Amino acid sequence: MNSILVYLSVHDARIKRSSLEALSRAREVGKASGMAVEAAILHSAAAEMASVAHAHGASKVFCMANPIFDSHLNAPLIAGLSKVIKMSSPRAVVMASTEGVKDVLGALAIRTDAAVLPDVASFYVTSDEVTCERPVMAAKLLASTTSTHPLVFISVRSGSYEVSEGETVGTVEEVAFDFDEATLGATLREIVQTTGDTVDLSEANVVVAAGRGVRDESGKALVDELASITGAAIGASRAVVETGLFPATAQIGQTGKVVSPELYFAVGISGAIQHVAGMNNSRVIVAINKDADAPIFDVATYGLVGDCFKILPVLNAELRKIIS
Amino acid sequence: MKFCVCIKQVPDVQASVQTGRMVLNAYDASAVEEALVVNEGTDDVVDLVLIGPSSATETIRKALAMGASNATHIVVESLGGLDSHAIAHILADHFASHEYDAILTGKQSQDSDSGLAGSMLAELLGIPFATNAVGLKAEGEDLVVTRQGDSGQEIVALKTPCLVTCSNDMNNPRIPSLKGIMGAKRKQIPNKEAASVSALTDVSKSFSPPGREAGVKWEGEAEELVSQLVSKLQNEAGVL
Ligand SMILES: Cc1cc2nc3c(=O)[nH]c(=O)nc-3n(C[C@H](O)[C@H](O)[C@H](O)COP(=O)(O)OP(=O)(O)OC[C@H]3O[C@@H](n4cnc5c(N)ncnc54)[C@H](O)[C@@H]3O)c2cc1C
Ligand SMILES: Nc1ncnc2c1ncn2[C@@H]1O[C@H](COP(=O)(O)O)[C@@H](O)[C@H]1O
Repeated sequence: MNSILVYLSVHDARIKRSSLEALSRAREVGKASGMAVEAAILHSAAAEMASVAHAHGASKVFCMANPIFDSHLNAPLIAGLSKVIKMSSPRAVVMASTEGVKDVLGALAIRTDAAVLPDVASFYVTSDEVTCERPVMAAKLLASTTSTHPLVFISVRSGSYEVSEGETVGTVEEVAFDFDEATLGATLREIVQTTGDTVDLSEANVVVAAGRGVRDESGKALVDELASITGAAIGASRAVVETGLFPATAQIGQTGKVVSPELYFAVGISGAIQHVAGMNNSRVIVAINKDADAPIFDVATYGLVGDCFKILPVLNAELRKIIS
Repeated sequence: MKFCVCIKQVPDVQASVQTGRMVLNAYDASAVEEALVVNEGTDDVVDLVLIGPSSATETIRKALAMGASNATHIVVESLGGLDSHAIAHILADHFASHEYDAILTGKQSQDSDSGLAGSMLAELLGIPFATNAVGLKAEGEDLVVTRQGDSGQEIVALKTPCLVTCSNDMNNPRIPSLKGIMGAKRKQIPNKEAASVSALTDVSKSFSPPGREAGVKWEGEAEELVSQLVSKLQNEAGVL
């Protein structure tokens, strides 16, 4: 009852950085309110990742190793997490706000009788209550939200906290998991991976995002080049994803992903609030747009008014000189 | 497939100032559109249910005008104190006496961005579900869902009855025809009382976050613009 459990999402056999951000914050909060911090890893290779959880502050790591967790189906993950939550019996469960987590959060809360504070930008936990601030109205407002329910789930937007290490030495508890696939009600037919994702968008230090102004393949080639020079992940607006030029996994904004890199290039993006909702926590924003009145300039640190087809070749050449 | 779509009326967040204008949640509009497309050429119904104030009738009529069959209006004069947990319980009570092959919701409310009511409802009803759908197809007893995951798309076949939460990346909702609008005007929309439920979370206040200041903006030749930018990135921002 007096602990915080952190669910750690795994991608490519590695704990996601956004999960480590959530764990780092949980460790600080736990220290301040006198609560132990535990972690849960549900993955076929869970035990191999336990030491990373210890290093970031988890005193005990629940490891549930079953290949079904690698299947992207929500039902096994909900069943597995419910079991760990019963064993750990925490005050709060903290997780990174990934698509995988969003897929299970609501059902898991009903099953374990938990309140949920979803997609928060900050949070605090005491034995009496859990408080948070979460962006609402397409991030135009922040809402201070509280729950006094005995069990509260918190999902944290990526980039809300820094990853930091603690000095925890911990234990591992292997938890058995049997799942009757006949009760699934769902089968996974296929996973269509987006190819060529060299850098994970939500974890990237530099993001180059393209909008409808990046019209065609030749524009895309310029954007790709800028990304490769700066080691950036590639993002996109909804309008340009709709044209098929960029994959849906690249979409940044209210419907898409939330990013908060050190440096964000918005190329040919108008800056609709639904797009800005996903990127306005970037530290430095560079906007390239031929319309001097585009709203993206209201949030840009540096604005270049002009044609991206003229600016990008020059910028790429200049940056290549500096960076190589 | 017999569909029911849960629709919500939300404030128009697009407007730069708070106008008080209310609209159909964009994600729910996509859910209505997709149900209509899946059922095209069949006699199967696409029903609607909305929880909200009496004034939300206009939003229900808008979705009916798109081509939905019948709607239930669960009247709650203010959504203020109701979180997704409370909404899911009211909806679950509604579906206890209505049977559908598939229930659709939006992936999130445009105003609160919670993204919970759909999957909570599925769990309360004990049916399989998928979230963040960008495609739907009926295949015999199954509903085949393409969902947008973290690093790609996943294609999942759900046994009906099931629930799917829909992304607005799924389609572009149709603009109602004049005939649709006239037809929707004539439809009876039965009202119903909400089951008594409790919220588990509480919004104490909302405020504007410290805004970003607009920085500098340059116009000119590409070479000039780039050299100014690079110099700032190196010397001021320290990111190069
Ligand atoms: C519920 C909801 C959720 C949404 N979620 C998202 C989301 O997650 N992400 C998102 O991005 N959008 C989202 N949107 C859509 C959003 O409202 C905008 O429609 C979208 O962001 C516009 O994309 P854009 O800026 O690329 O296109 P446009 O608005 O068409 O802007 C293109 C810009 O490119 C500039 N341009 C054109 N040619 C050039 C050139 N040669 N050089 C330089 N500049 C040029 C133009 O001046 C213009 O400013 C959502 C909308 C709704 C209703
Ligand atoms: N008041 C409501 N009436 C009907 N459906 C709702 C209501 N509130 C939420 N929903 C449905 O639940 C979805 C997600 O809600 P939320 O958890 O609020 O983000 C919405 O897209 C709707 O489909």
